Amino acid sequence: MAEGTSGPGGDGAGAMLDGLVSDEERRLGEPMLRWSSRTHSIAGVQAELERIWSSISLTTPAADGDGTADGTPGASGAERRVAARSSVMNLVIVAGRGETGERAAAVVHGLTGRHPSRTIIVTPADPDGPSWLDAQVQAHCVLPSKDSPETCAELIYLTAGGESGQHLAGLVAPLLVHDLPVTVWWPGEPRLESRPVRELLDMADRLIVDGAGWSGDGLERLAQLARMAGEHGLEIADFAMLRQSRWREAIASSFDLPRLMPFLGHITALTVHYSARDGTPRATDVVKPIYHLAWLASRLGMVVAEPMTAGSEPWGGYRGVLRSGRRRVEVELHPLESPQAGGTTLEVAIDARRGSERLAVRVTGHADGITVETLLDGRPMPDRQYLVPRRREADLLAETIEDAGAHPITIEALEMAAALVGRPVPGRHIGARAAA
Amino acid sequence: MATKAPPPPGRGTRTPTKAATPAKRQTPNPGAADGMVPAVAAGSLSIREERLAHDGKRRRSPKSIEVNPLRKGLRLERVPDPHVMVLFGATGDLSHRKVFPALAQLWRTNLLPQDWQLVAIGRRAYDDKAFREGVRDSLKVNSRVPLEPAVERQFLDRITYHRGDFDADPMYDELAERLDAIDASHATAGNRLFYLATQPSAFTEIVAQLGRTGLDHEHHGGGWRRIVIEKPFGRDLDSARRLNREVGKVFREAQVYRIDHYLGKETVRNLLVFRFANGIFEPLWNRRYVDHVQITMAESLGVEERGSFYEETGAVRDVVQNHLLQLLTLVAMEPPATFDAEALRDEKVKVLRAVDRLDRMRVAADVVRGQYGPGWIEGTRAAGYRAEDEVDAQSETETFVAMKLNIDDWRWSGVPFYLRTGKRLPKRATEIAIQFRDVPHRLFEGAQSNPEPNLLAIRIQPDEGIVLRFGSKVPGLGLDIRTVNMDFTYGSAFSADAPEAYETLILDAMLGDASLFTRADEVEAAWAAVDPILDAWLDEPAPEFPNYDAGTWGPPAADRLMERAGRRWRRI
Repeated sequence: MAEGTSGPGGDGAGAMLDGLVSDEERRLGEPMLRWSSRTHSIAGVQAELERIWSSISLTTPAADGDGTADGTPGASGAERRVAARSSVMNLVIVAGRGETGERAAAVVHGLTGRHPSRTIIVTPADPDGPSWLDAQVQAHCVLPSKDSPETCAELIYLTAGGESGQHLAGLVAPLLVHDLPVTVWWPGEPRLESRPVRELLDMADRLIVDGAGWSGDGLERLAQLARMAGEHGLEIADFAMLRQSRWREAIASSFDLPRLMPFLGHITALTVHYSARDGTPRATDVVKPIYHLAWLASRLGMVVAEPMTAGSEPWGGYRGVLRSGRRRVEVELHPLESPQAGGTTLEVAIDARRGSERLAVRVTGHADGITVETLLDGRPMPDRQYLVPRRREADLLAETIEDAGAHPITIEALEMAAALVGRPVPGRHIGARAAA
Repeated sequence: MATKAPPPPGRGTRTPTKAATPAKRQTPNPGAADGMVPAVAAGSLSIREERLAHDGKRRRSPKSIEVNPLRKGLRLERVPDPHVMVLFGATGDLSHRKVFPALAQLWRTNLLPQDWQLVAIGRRAYDDKAFREGVRDSLKVNSRVPLEPAVERQFLDRITYHRGDFDADPMYDELAERLDAIDASHATAGNRLFYLATQPSAFTEIVAQLGRTGLDHEHHGGGWRRIVIEKPFGRDLDSARRLNREVGKVFREAQVYRIDHYLGKETVRNLLVFRFANGIFEPLWNRRYVDHVQITMAESLGVEERGSFYEETGAVRDVVQNHLLQLLTLVAMEPPATFDAEALRDEKVKVLRAVDRLDRMRVAADVVRGQYGPGWIEGTRAAGYRAEDEVDAQSETETFVAMKLNIDDWRWSGVPFYLRTGKRLPKRATEIAIQFRDVPHRLFEGAQSNPEPNLLAIRIQPDEGIVLRFGSKVPGLGLDIRTVNMDFTYGSAFSADAPEAYETLILDAMLGDASLFTRADEVEAAWAAVDPILDAWLDEPAPEFPNYDAGTWGPPAADRLMERAGRRWRRI
């Protein structure tokens, strides 16, 4: 590769040779590009990965110079603190377009010191042309402190044209680090039903998507996602649901009060107001607002009596009916014209009636966070404010990685969401009415 | 304890539970409440006796509240019950440096219940506004994450100041009234967490007063009462027993939470996970494979402004009896049957009881004490201990101690545990090192370098992590063997912002989880392990102090302690 250039995702730091990148301007704690090379075959990628480790470890000085690092008797000679290749997982990113891959790579760089992974970014290109492969192999390293060894993680960009781009699993499988879990992150609109994707997901443990940016109302894709979880035994993480964790805490906190907890069995209506710029039915992605309903319904053991349907009038929203025991619970997604991004939750409203007492909980989002207002028989109880720190994709990805293991709450909410929109996952009982 | 004033009329009727009279619940001014309550002659019975006789169902813990189904899968599956925290010593350094910042952080991250109130007790004259200002100022300095203005306001609004002397009856009477009033206005349901961040000399008096006024008393169907007591818990076995006895007269053991903040540290907690959630280490964790264990807690600081405290304390009382022995128990304990507080603490106590008692000969041979003289640390000149403020110019207080302990049980018999701690050592570091035995047969005798025995080091601070040392062949035609470290640093694997030890521990006390707190028998067993050392030193003249320079790893005798057995301290 030509000197002084950097490939996709490269930060251009230092002078780039074919391989090792000089590290004159290293800063503690910041990921630095330490290796970059290019090849055109999977075997070439494997060879480059081997070269990375022989080169980088040779350039890392021992922490204690020539001295011993500890005082065990007989210790002699230099004890090397080798540059550590740390991997906590294989991360496969499917990028429909080059710029999506670069954005995802930027997110991954931010995690190098926190969750070093072998990352493979695959971009299929020119499906009708001849088969070809372009691969760029990079290593990004972080020096956590002066005396620590470097932590490095590999990043492989694969751009595959023609027929080879249609066999994602075949491209990725030889490059996975053995024994580590495989996470597939699919930014944008995942094509969940196509055969190449199914092959790829067959070897994955976890699928990460972001339902907040899907086209249309997003409900068809949401139902597909719920089915994937059941059919492939995949752990699913949706950034859209993850972003709502503070909302869920705020809602739950209302019912921590012993006096209010019994109202959970007496809910009469659940309404989520969401922002929309266009009132046309099905024009706004409602995945986020429906997750609120689905989470509440699944946690409270409700079943779907009448699936939600979109109103035919502009600004009509969606309505449906749940049952909690023998009680009928009206559910509604209600659009409000707002400058915020379409599908943003503006308010979650919970109404309950227990005997003669009425409870109204209003959880409202605003610029600084969330406010919980509670009215018991019309009398306000003290409000509570919740901070909602804005989380970047890097934070969400880190959180997903840390939250290892299948999350039953997520799966239940996902299945309930599918049932709510009238597409229940076959063979699953979440949200489904018990047989008469 | 000071002579008590006769009880004011009506004091005996205070009932800080749901059974309180409506008039009582609406008490607007706690100090003026007595006159509003129907007077009942206290007679010769104490308030406490009268109240206990009245409801006759003492010592029944309140039933746990139903679980909120929406909490499942969230950060906290259970939040603390609404309660009032009563902080004694609220104007002191510990409260401002540690307790308030931890509470503020818990509030900021929504981990405290909405109905949470704090009554801060101190001797100095403040009103609520002035006290809150003081807390605000100290949060600016001590909070690990700055508080957003709205959050800070909400937090401070929940703090009220209660002035009084810890030995004055009226202070507690007024406190009880005030707590009743808070229960009535904030739905705190009679739940109270008393936190003693005072000088240890005040512990007994405060506990006795809480007992006198019945504030310890958990009513049937009412709230819980818990007490958190800061270290030091006694200064020897006798005083610890006396203190336990006094506390036990008032509180059940299950209500008592003795803090050793070291147990709240992430890495210390992770030690349990490391040992008992990983299958590969436990089979090696015994006398068959382990040669010895070293536990080091080094400080580069001197005694700073704690000269008079340290003069009375010394390294054994300040660090060995609590922090180092806690680490030793976590390393040496058997796997508990369950991960609940009692099972965990049972196993820790067993280890402490198995630590062999040192007779005078053994103290002379296996325990080294030191005191720092002047020296250089990190390029700065440091004064000797005897030149520190509030320190006797002829002081014989130890600022360094190194010792060899044996644990006489099936697992560890014959494996020495070397402990060392000191002030003005070259760096701040806490570390546990498990030195494994050499391979049974040296296959590579002819190799250029013999492989070193394996070592597992658990770094607790700074730069928390775990290092495993093993031998590896140097690439090439020869058979040169090098020792390499496999180094795991927490910071490189987890992005989560680790909570401060105080946040963890205070939240645990609020949730009623005593796993990370020290039980009475544990405290006594720890004192029993170090008491023979203190006793022996009383009769033996101290070595020629100072015997190590600031900025060095302690007196030469500490090195000789290891060299006698052909070992060396790990260089940290």
